[in-house]
Amino acid sequence: MMKLLAVEGVRKRYGGVIALADVSFAIEQSGIYGLIGPNGAGKTTLFDVIAGNTAADNGRVIIDDREMTGALPYRLVRQGVARSFQECRVLSEFTCLENLLFAAQPKTLGHGIAQIFTRRDAHRRAALESARHLLDLVNLTAYADAPASVLSFGQRRLLEIVTTFIMRPRVLLLDEPAAGVNPALLETLDRALRAMIAERTGVFLIVEHNMTFIFALAHEIIVMHQGVVLERGTPEQIQASPRVVEAYLG
Amino acid sequence: MSSRLALIAAVVAITVLYSLPAFAPDPYVLHVLVLACLYVIPAVGLNLMLGYTGLVSLGHMGFAGVGAYVGAILLVDVKHGFWVTLLLATLAAGFAGALVGAICLRFRTHFFMIVTLAFGLLAFSVFNNWDEVTRGAVGFPGIPRPRPIELGGVRYTFGPLPHFYYFVLTAAMLVFALQRLVVRSDFGCTLMAIRQDEKLAQAKGVDVMRYKVAVFALGAALAGLGGLLHVSFLRVAAPASFNLAESINAVLIVVLGGAGSLVGPALGALVFVALPEYLRMTAEWRLVIFGALLVVVTLFAPRGLAGLFHSRNIGVRPGSDTNVK
Repeated sequence: MMKLLAVEGVRKRYGGVIALADVSFAIEQSGIYGLIGPNGAGKTTLFDVIAGNTAADNGRVIIDDREMTGALPYRLVRQGVARSFQECRVLSEFTCLENLLFAAQPKTLGHGIAQIFTRRDAHRRAALESARHLLDLVNLTAYADAPASVLSFGQRRLLEIVTTFIMRPRVLLLDEPAAGVNPALLETLDRALRAMIAERTGVFLIVEHNMTFIFALAHEIIVMHQGVVLERGTPEQIQASPRVVEAYLG
Repeated sequence: MSSRLALIAAVVAITVLYSLPAFAPDPYVLHVLVLACLYVIPAVGLNLMLGYTGLVSLGHMGFAGVGAYVGAILLVDVKHGFWVTLLLATLAAGFAGALVGAICLRFRTHFFMIVTLAFGLLAFSVFNNWDEVTRGAVGFPGIPRPRPIELGGVRYTFGPLPHFYYFVLTAAMLVFALQRLVVRSDFGCTLMAIRQDEKLAQAKGVDVMRYKVAVFALGAALAGLGGLLHVSFLRVAAPASFNLAESINAVLIVVLGGAGSLVGPALGALVFVALPEYLRMTAEWRLVIFGALLVVVTLFAPRGLAGLFHSRNIGVRPGSDTNVK
């Protein structure tokens, strides 16, 4: 079976701190996967390794059956990986719509230079419809032409998530999408993520500390602890696992 | 300022600039305007780097010098024609920009500034000391104006001041048109994204280094074009036109006019050249006045002179978390 996303024997050490001791798992079916674990378990480091922001000391990263170990972030994007950041990154001077159109536009330098002179904007018009649809999905239609800087933190999170989705990723990495989002927006987020996974096949790997949120949303949960994968299973199996309860859920 | 108002302002400004020699043939005014145009061309290049991409280069006029001296050698020593030389000098400066950029851009923020500063100093010492090639500190004399051209039986010479004024004004206009094309394109959009958040641009698939080298080369090419026109106007290439002070002046022009605005370089260069002339100051006082002006601008108009005319209308009220249907 095709490996949509796999990590094999990934290790990463920062000085004397072992962030990732030995992480391996493979995801073969599209769906929403939750990545949970206590602080310092290595979740964000693992994201950085998969997305190319950090090079692992050992091990392999496989995306869509192709080895992408050590590839730079922009190469991984072209292979179908998109990510959001724990600290939430949007382009605050661009409007919400511009944020989406920028995410959707082709990024090769050749395209950029050619487009200066040809001024072809068919791709922009094509992306516009999808951008408006996504803004609607996260209730940001009223802010389409407002700079992202006027958005609240929770709204920025939603904007960031749809900008990653418009890139048509096959592997989408979301780092704590629910953190700092108030309960009302959490519902919007949950609804939007379900709608997005229904629209297109792919792997959504979501690091999350909000257990109610992620257990309700995810098809499968991967639990990390002290730099290794402790357990993997459906939300029900995880909640019943004595090892997970001891290490994390308490 | 609405886009229609901006369009009207642009049309009026262009009409006034082109009809000026007919109404006010005062050579002094034209001389000042020619100088402003010659400052504007490198400034547009720097605006793309500094204003749109966030790359503060302190060696920008070094590339103007590369264009100027390559041009001077081709015109005087190799005896190439002017138009071929113009193209080759621009390309040479752009190529130098790509090479230097590929090195400097390995550094970020203030480290990047220091490395570009080092390049500027290095370029100046080459211009100043390589006597056999650049004629050293005394300058490279005998650089010609373009030869007369004939279009449909009409002979156009570049010698008289009004004619040269039309020539550099047109060159400046073309450079502004290019700037507008670049900024409005996907390329420009990516540059602005890099300035706002490099890590995000990367996560959206941008090879940031390649884009930065490309814009650095483009900025350097425009500087080279301006440099060659400058020495063609003065008929001599002097190292002092391309020293550190001039590079800092270029940054001043861009910041004063409004970094990251399409008309910013024009406003900046106009004020930079015309104000000291108007106040009858010596060049030594210029830096003092502009230093003070820069402090005022950063305090009260952080987006430069152009920012004073510009306000972004925001149609919705500031965000709140209560937008759930």
